[in-house]
Amino acid sequence: MSNPVLQVKDLRVYYHTARGPAKAVDGVSFELEPNTRLGLVGESGSGKSTMALALMRMIKTPGRIEGGQMILGGIDLATLSSEAMRQVRLSQISMIPQGAMNSLNPVVRVRKQMIDAIYAHNVKMTAKEIDRRIAEVIEWVDLEPGVANMFPHELSGGMKQRVCIAISILLKPKVIIADEPTSALDVVVQRQVMETIGRVQAELGASVILIGHDMGLMVQFVNRMIVMYAGKIAEMGNIRELFTQPLHPYSQLLISSLPRLDSKGELQGIPGIAPSLLNPPSGCVFHTRCPHVMDICSKQAPSLIAMDGGQMVSCHLYGEPLLW
Amino acid sequence: MRFLKTLAGLRHHPLLTIGLVIILMLILFGPVASRFVNVKGAKVGSSLPEQTPSAEFPLGTDTYGREILPVMVVGTPLTLRIGLIAGTIGLGLGIILGFMAGYFGGWVDTLIKGAADVLLTVPGLLFLVVIATTLKGAVSVNMMALVVASLAWMWPTRTIRAQVLTLRERQFVMVARLNGMSGFEIIVRELIPNLLPYLAASFVSAVGSAILASIGLEALGLGPQNEPTLGMTIYWALYSTSVLRGLWWWWAPPIAVIILTFIGLFLISIGLDQIANPKLRRAT
Repeated sequence: MSNPVLQVKDLRVYYHTARGPAKAVDGVSFELEPNTRLGLVGESGSGKSTMALALMRMIKTPGRIEGGQMILGGIDLATLSSEAMRQVRLSQISMIPQGAMNSLNPVVRVRKQMIDAIYAHNVKMTAKEIDRRIAEVIEWVDLEPGVANMFPHELSGGMKQRVCIAISILLKPKVIIADEPTSALDVVVQRQVMETIGRVQAELGASVILIGHDMGLMVQFVNRMIVMYAGKIAEMGNIRELFTQPLHPYSQLLISSLPRLDSKGELQGIPGIAPSLLNPPSGCVFHTRCPHVMDICSKQAPSLIAMDGGQMVSCHLYGEPLLW
Repeated sequence: MRFLKTLAGLRHHPLLTIGLVIILMLILFGPVASRFVNVKGAKVGSSLPEQTPSAEFPLGTDTYGREILPVMVVGTPLTLRIGLIAGTIGLGLGIILGFMAGYFGGWVDTLIKGAADVLLTVPGLLFLVVIATTLKGAVSVNMMALVVASLAWMWPTRTIRAQVLTLRERQFVMVARLNGMSGFEIIVRELIPNLLPYLAASFVSAVGSAILASIGLEALGLGPQNEPTLGMTIYWALYSTSVLRGLWWWWAPPIAVIILTFIGLFLISIGLDQIANPKLRRAT
């Protein structure tokens, strides 16, 4: 295996509220291999989007990156100056936004928006090269060349999202974060957009972090997956193993809650509600909803341990507990 | 080609068109009429005093022997110039301060908003009177414009700040930041294009209020003493009790020009508002 493009070590992002810090991302570590598609799932409030924003260093007050490292291409993004980070955005790491409908400036032509995005970076490109690059990315995302000269209101939702994808690959970043890129699109367009992201990823050899809670989409798209719960990693591993043999009780419940074509039984949800991030349960954050809860779960937080199949899981059911 | 298209588009906006025509005529009035009218007649003592309008003096003359028609020909462009300079500076300052306050927020916002709020509570005329009186002596037309501009920036600042506050929360601004654009680039490339129609409308109202402020000062006698601006003409007319003495041809023409100016600006403002604000557009 080659060196990871992105290493996240013990990342912690807290939102400082009047009632104390809300630990949206609490000690997350993972590595992203080149040319891979990583899925990030979890229910609302599990810290997925916060983590994406942290990787872009776009956390707004009262949020703050409390600690940890995000090493991209040998540089720790957490320590970069804001100007240096601005240069890194789009050129090293880019993000395909949620909600394509509002992501483009309504009064500026697509081409101009692309040129503006390139000009914001210290790249030496002649006008001709920029033109060629724009034509290239437009073609990659399967749009007509004429789209570049249109205004956003002349485009459909799927076309707008593809323009957003085209913008995100303008400077050939190593990592592309896609935060629920298909929300608010219909299923057919969803599929086309995901295919576009996949093709662009393969062409660039970049890595994609796909954030979402559409498990069906995940299975079709990603190679590896991280299941997050209350700001922590519950389980991570290759998509195949994770889906056929989920280890963490939360992953098990999450996957069994999916509707299946072959069985027409009643759909099962996960009982309980997501824990408060202000006042998380003691020990394992999932113990209040876990069907396999043990005594130790409320006393001690489990750590992420590697299992035989390469999966990593954070649960007391696996491995020896340190103390009773 | 594009210009012609824009012109053709004007017929969908009759109010804007009428307003533009009125203002254009007023702007051209000075330069064009000065070719046919002897401008020297605007000087004190150039002709017999207090003549009723006649073939020789189309709008009569005032107590000081000035012919009113040349006074209008010279005075109208002067007043428009004060309005344009003061409006431009006022709006320019308002744009810079409003965008900074709205986009950057924090202490920048607190400082700018605080200064604007404090100055807004002070009656503008009082301030202008104080400034104008300290500038005793020969106030030039340009100086007059600067005096007016010094208090013309608060409203634009507040209203533009409010617009920027709503605009900066829009998704595309967040996306622009995600794409590595800096604050200044976002203001110039993302925010200003969205606010152009609004800024155009603000410009019209800024010019209007600047003209109003300058005329107010001048009617109190605090304007350029040696220049026959519209406001100064009104001042001299009041000073010589022209209203009581029935010298209507003295006070009526400047008032008519001022009313026409405001009607023109008002129509442009409404017209631009209809373009900038689709909610006001009637279904056609």
